[in-house]
Amino acid sequence: MGISPTFGIGGLAWRNLTRRPFRTSLTVSGVSVAVALLASLLAFGKGYERELSRELDAMGIQMMLVPLGCPYDAAARVLKGNALDVSLPASAFVKAKQDSAVQDAAPLLMTTLPRPAEGRTDLWVGVTSEIRPLKPWWKLTEGSHWFSSDTSDSVILGAEAAETELRRVGDSFYSPETGRKFKVCGVLERSGTADDSQFFVPLKTAQSMFHQPDRLTAIAIRLKDPALTGEASTRLQTIPGAQVVTMTEMMGTFLNLVGSVRTLIQSLAALAVLISALSILTTMLSTVLERTNEIGLFRAMGASRSQVFGLLALESAFLAILGSVFGVLLAGVAGSGVERVVRSFVSLAPQGRLLALTSDVILQCCGVGLLIGIGAGVYPAWRASRLSPIEALRWEN
Amino acid sequence: MKSVDNVVLRAESLTKIYRRGVEEVRALDGVTFSIEEGEFVSIVGQSGSGKTTLLNLIGCMDTPTSGTIEIDGHETSRLSDRQSTRLRSEKIGFVFQHFGLIPTLSVEENIMLPTLFARRAAKGKASELLEQVGLSHRHKHRPHELSGGEMQRVAIARALINSPALLLADEPTGNLDSTNGEAILRLFTDLNRAGLTIIVVTHNPALADAAHRQLNLQDGHLLLESQL
Repeated sequence: MGISPTFGIGGLAWRNLTRRPFRTSLTVSGVSVAVALLASLLAFGKGYERELSRELDAMGIQMMLVPLGCPYDAAARVLKGNALDVSLPASAFVKAKQDSAVQDAAPLLMTTLPRPAEGRTDLWVGVTSEIRPLKPWWKLTEGSHWFSSDTSDSVILGAEAAETELRRVGDSFYSPETGRKFKVCGVLERSGTADDSQFFVPLKTAQSMFHQPDRLTAIAIRLKDPALTGEASTRLQTIPGAQVVTMTEMMGTFLNLVGSVRTLIQSLAALAVLISALSILTTMLSTVLERTNEIGLFRAMGASRSQVFGLLALESAFLAILGSVFGVLLAGVAGSGVERVVRSFVSLAPQGRLLALTSDVILQCCGVGLLIGIGAGVYPAWRASRLSPIEALRWEN
Repeated sequence: MKSVDNVVLRAESLTKIYRRGVEEVRALDGVTFSIEEGEFVSIVGQSGSGKTTLLNLIGCMDTPTSGTIEIDGHETSRLSDRQSTRLRSEKIGFVFQHFGLIPTLSVEENIMLPTLFARRAAKGKASELLEQVGLSHRHKHRPHELSGGEMQRVAIARALINSPALLLADEPTGNLDSTNGEAILRLFTDLNRAGLTIIVVTHNPALADAAHRQLNLQDGHLLLESQL
């Protein structure tokens, strides 16, 4: 006869969880949701910072000259494609371009055009060819070409804008909001940035359309050497009506912008973690109550208090470990849905994937899950271990 | 009758008093007796006479209010929880009326359970015991696949896995029909013939009569000790 007793206290604890599969599943689900929420939050924090950094790096822009006012708000709006109510004189561009530290500079005029009939607002951006070195990811689709002149009524559409408008290169369309007819000279390939949804026209055309002659919304600048940022910033700051915002400062501003949203989600995650800890506590207390007689039996068989404690604590830890594993999987699977919700709260979110479920995020979540399990399991396990063997054996459910 | 010389259990003036509110209940009152190695003793009496209380005191599951108990030379009435746990693990095997098998474990795992708590390996011993109780062919089965008699045989094998000095059984045939009850009686007799000391609390006259001696309890007093 082949006897293979491969079970230990751990095996016994594991099998005890299978006695009430529905209750075990419910408890594990509760922990999973809490851990998934926590994982999403942590992954969002990581991903947001990473994507923001990547997007700012990709821009090739080290600083922005914006009109006086709140510099970070202005720069954020310009970067993410929102119009400004104030503007810079065109002379600021000439001065900026002449600075010895500046490699490339590009003037921008951005205006929003509300289109209530379509239920959306378009962003029109006046640019010159000087923008092209600062947007290295720009690729024109086949058949596209740059504006024929600085004053032409030509438009280059972002990939999404072209899809929304159902326009291709060579098409003409009338824009009732501006009272002009435009010819599509180019369509940009999708870049995953805010550019995808914008309408680009020659700067002078934009200034004329929006009655802003010789005015600019911002000037994007790339320096010859990033190490010159400090001194260039000091000089450019002296241009009348303009102020400098560096990309490093921008990064901090963006992170602050999402700070309040993160606090909200953190509170939700903390609440979910607390609820899941309570669900483990309730499950384990019910387990102790249901199995009081059995605990008495174990004591009669020679189980010590610490072994009874260990058995119940292990059951609780298993619930938490299972919940953590499923929670991380859930965060991975449902991450895109969570990202959509988070994005709706953060208006200036980067375009790339915001959830970065890295190994340290997974480890942190599993650690928190395990702490929940151990923390919530201590009291029921202690209660079980303190039961008098004789009282436990007399117990009738 | 078996010739016996060595005392394996000695109880002196054993008294157990419970308090129920302001009321004082003398479950046992000055009980004195001794049991020698290899004896088969039954404890009989009406419900509430103190039988189970006595068995619990013998099994170190409870402590007496006064008096002493000695098991295999060890005074057990004032042991700490850790010491009494160890004594139960090493010297005592319990059999209960309700079998107490763990539903998620197989027959062999149920039998091995006390070795888990005692941190002992007893693989060969489990095989022997399964053969002894006639359930080798059922070793992989779960308790719900067994009859009542088979479950009690598994419980007896489990009680013997750590080679105890004493086997204590509380109404072992109480949940069984007469056929299975007789089978358990035969098993106890066989185990006793092999040298095991058995103390059984029972209302079953056949089982009580099969013992060498009966300890008759009434209202916590030991009435008589009749040699069979």
